Amino acid sequence: MSSPAPPAVDHLLRLADDELILGWRDSEWTGIAPFLEEDVAFSSIAQTEIGHARAFYELAARELGGTADELAFDRRPEEYRSSPLVELRLVHDWGRTIARHVLYELADAIRIAEVKGSPDPDVAGLGEKIEREEAYHRMHAQMWADRLAESEEGRKRLVAGLEELWPYALGLLEGEARERLTADVAERLPFFTPPEVEPVERGEHVDEWAALWEEMTMVRRSAPGGQW
Amino acid sequence: MTPRTEEAFIEHVQSGGQVEATDWMPDEYRARLVKFIEMHGNSELMGVLPEREWILRAPTLQRKLALTAKVQDEAGHAQLIYRVVEDLGKPRDAVLEDLISGKSKFHNVFHYPTKTWGDVGVIAWLVDAAAIISQKALLKCSYAPYARIMKKICWEESFHILHGRDVILAMVTGTPKQRELVQEALDRWWKPLMMFHGNQIPAEKDPMFHWRIKSQGNEEARQQFLDGYVPQIRELGLEIPDPKLRKDEATGRWAYTEPDWDELRHVVTGHGPMTAERLGFRRASRDETAWVRDVVLAEAA
Repeated sequence: MSSPAPPAVDHLLRLADDELILGWRDSEWTGIAPFLEEDVAFSSIAQTEIGHARAFYELAARELGGTADELAFDRRPEEYRSSPLVELRLVHDWGRTIARHVLYELADAIRIAEVKGSPDPDVAGLGEKIEREEAYHRMHAQMWADRLAESEEGRKRLVAGLEELWPYALGLLEGEARERLTADVAERLPFFTPPEVEPVERGEHVDEWAALWEEMTMVRRSAPGGQW
Repeated sequence: MTPRTEEAFIEHVQSGGQVEATDWMPDEYRARLVKFIEMHGNSELMGVLPEREWILRAPTLQRKLALTAKVQDEAGHAQLIYRVVEDLGKPRDAVLEDLISGKSKFHNVFHYPTKTWGDVGVIAWLVDAAAIISQKALLKCSYAPYARIMKKICWEESFHILHGRDVILAMVTGTPKQRELVQEALDRWWKPLMMFHGNQIPAEKDPMFHWRIKSQGNEEARQQFLDGYVPQIRELGLEIPDPKLRKDEATGRWAYTEPDWDELRHVVTGHGPMTAERLGFRRASRDETAWVRDVVLAEAA
């Protein structure tokens, strides 16, 4: 796992790591969301993201060998390709959480459209399947963004989150996809004008990453060679 | 339609009759229902806390999915149960306030720490097994709206037991270290499990049985748990930490070391090892998201 993966596999790992880590962060809300209904909703979204991560890891494992679990849990922290956007710890801040949720889903929609166009039929097929589920995540995110934006307090908190996280959201994508995201955000979130900023690029991990990795892998590391 | 006198009402429920939310009911019956069902809802909600941190540590993608789904079920159960309490006259906000201020109770097992992944397996397998015995008996509860939601809850709990048993099986057939984790977790959880169904008050003296809110006595539930699970635990080569535990073949009853009922009372009245921390955590997360409820409920008004 130490030599760099070929570009197509690296792309799969980026997608898988983003979905795994976002699902991980989403499941931090399980049991402590502002409404019981949101405990249930966020847990459900977390499960879908983890399911997508598993499917991408399985495709990456075709080339790299090993299993989805080994790719998800047994790499060194510096080997993960996740974007800083998904790594940020946002509990218990619901305003920033919804800001990330809506920015991620809008960016992911652009990315999944690319995946659907992949020349690899397995990858393209997975893109189709994922898109059907992500459509519900987008509706959930948009509903919450609109709902918060209806009040002064909610809008203030949401927009502060969007401003802070916008450079991170850009960093999730590459090339002209970034321009598309800027246009989509302006259209879907009319109460927010995306500023021109330097994207926070993938490659560096955020400060909270080390603690996340420690926690995510601690059980596996507690009994090496175990079966779980 | 229920009878309009307390005496006739008692006869109605004791002969298997049920009560709907809109029926007349004695004040004492309503008060006991609220207290009992509220504690059940609180237990589902507080039961989320010892497990949710392990979602983040789950050792495989499959376990992570299963555990998230399990905890999600429990949050969903709390939602369903609180709705029944709401129909009986106590709104969700008041229920949550009483929970975090320590005024109302939740089940003893959720006052204890979860130390390793072994505990996660023991909770999902054995705590949920103990719970489903109580919950199955509630399918016959005299209060029909509660009995109805119990069908869905029991159905989901039965999956949790399978998940828990699978976690335990994987570990006891894994490395010696993993097996040790399971045995240690069982040692930690056995006493709380033996207290789970409550003291040995005879059914006919139990007011909850009198009103047919419960359909079986505490000891009957515990005997059923021992009958169902002691052989399974032993089959895995695990040792149950109670030298007095044995089945009297003549009577078919299990003998065991009498649990410390003072400890149970002490724990459920807010003095368990994790009570303060978990209620504090619940209070803090509720405070941090109060603005969201304010904003959304103001819009709805």
